[in-house]
Amino acid sequence: MRKTKMIAWLPMLLLAGAVAHAHAMLDHANPSVGSTVTSAPRSLSLSFTQNLEPAFSTVQVQDAGGARVDQGKAQVDRANRSVLHIGLKPLRPGIYKVHWRVLSVDTHTTEGSFSFQVAQ
Amino acid sequence: MSCLLRLVALAAFSFMSVSGALAHCFVGARFMPATLNVDDPCVADELSLPTVAMFKNGDDPSARETDISAEYSKRITEAFGVSFGATWTRLRPPDGPNASGFQNVETMFKYQFLTDAAHELVMSIGLGVEWGATGAVSVGADRFTTFTPTFFIGKGFGDLPDSAGWLRAFAVTGQIGYAIPSSRSTTTFGTDPDTGEQTIDVEFNPQVVAWGGSLQYSMPYLKSNVVDLGLPDFINHLIPIVEFSLQTPVANTLTSGTVTTGTINPGVIWVGDYFQVALEAIIPVNHASGSAVGVMAQLHLYLDDIFPTSIGKPLFGGPVTTRTALGG
Repeated sequence: MRKTKMIAWLPMLLLAGAVAHAHAMLDHANPSVGSTVTSAPRSLSLSFTQNLEPAFSTVQVQDAGGARVDQGKAQVDRANRSVLHIGLKPLRPGIYKVHWRVLSVDTHTTEGSFSFQVAQ
Repeated sequence: MSCLLRLVALAAFSFMSVSGALAHCFVGARFMPATLNVDDPCVADELSLPTVAMFKNGDDPSARETDISAEYSKRITEAFGVSFGATWTRLRPPDGPNASGFQNVETMFKYQFLTDAAHELVMSIGLGVEWGATGAVSVGADRFTTFTPTFFIGKGFGDLPDSAGWLRAFAVTGQIGYAIPSSRSTTTFGTDPDTGEQTIDVEFNPQVVAWGGSLQYSMPYLKSNVVDLGLPDFINHLIPIVEFSLQTPVANTLTSGTVTTGTINPGVIWVGDYFQVALEAIIPVNHASGSAVGVMAQLHLYLDDIFPTSIGKPLFGGPVTTRTALGG
């Protein structure tokens, strides 16, 4: 009986957690993670699992030589605060590396990186 | 037991709908889940409740053992924390009688002294204390205290070149500790049932190297940092894992011998926003470690995500400075 009581409050604890916010992780990207695209994208979109704090959420895109090919400041989508957009300079065929670092609304910082390729 | 497991499963699956992100032990882009049989290398606010293990232990003759344990970990600062663990044990020897009770209370003080985000590398040192005479002798709890200074390490392989492809989703953790009993020997007085004479049994308490680790493959990491294969969401939350935990007596071994004992634990961990659920097999490495394959399961709560502004944050101090790809 005591064991039953001990476990019974777990759903309540989890329910309490439903109103909290967790770390923001990359759910999907466009171009997608590890993909090869046939035409050069003009922008990059990153969709996260939590809403983001715009002032502390950044993205950099680099070519194979390490040169920045993004347009500068990333923008959090006004209609969907879990999406981050950044413009890209005209991309030549090659492999590009994306580095992102974001702050979710509960102040947890997460980061990651991935590559995509623009085909010949 | 079936009722207990059903309740745990209900608690877990009741919140599958809020899944989508990871939490807790992050080192750069790498998330290392809480492991069941060895400790993860991070300091965090977390609660493992319950961990249930069922197996045939290494006693001679082997007894059916059920362990139900809980562990609460609390960050004092961002890099220093303390955890408390308790285990309730039921023993069912083949010839009886059955026994049940709590094992000794365990405490771990841990300091995470290195967090290298770029290389997905984390290191910690800790001092484990098993407090003697806080458990029941009938289930094997020692009457003496044991101190175990321990080194922890975790390393993800995301810093391999892109050409390594899917291998970058691998990570390893490891730990090695040296267990020092506070008493060199334990003396037990008894009476010979045949002669009625008093007997004295002296058992030397060995110093033990406790070592272990895990090899884990992160499907979340694969999806977010290597290649998005478009797999089902459930698959993208899985971390297949193999843990191992071994103990090797190295000193004061006159009565214990020096045979290494322990288990290997292949299994899988499902990680969500606020909790993880794990299921692993318990495979003894030799007869002295057990006589059959057992099983263990765990529900683990990320308190830093469930209660980020109250009990889930450190008591003192600011965040640990980490090196990142963006120089932040």
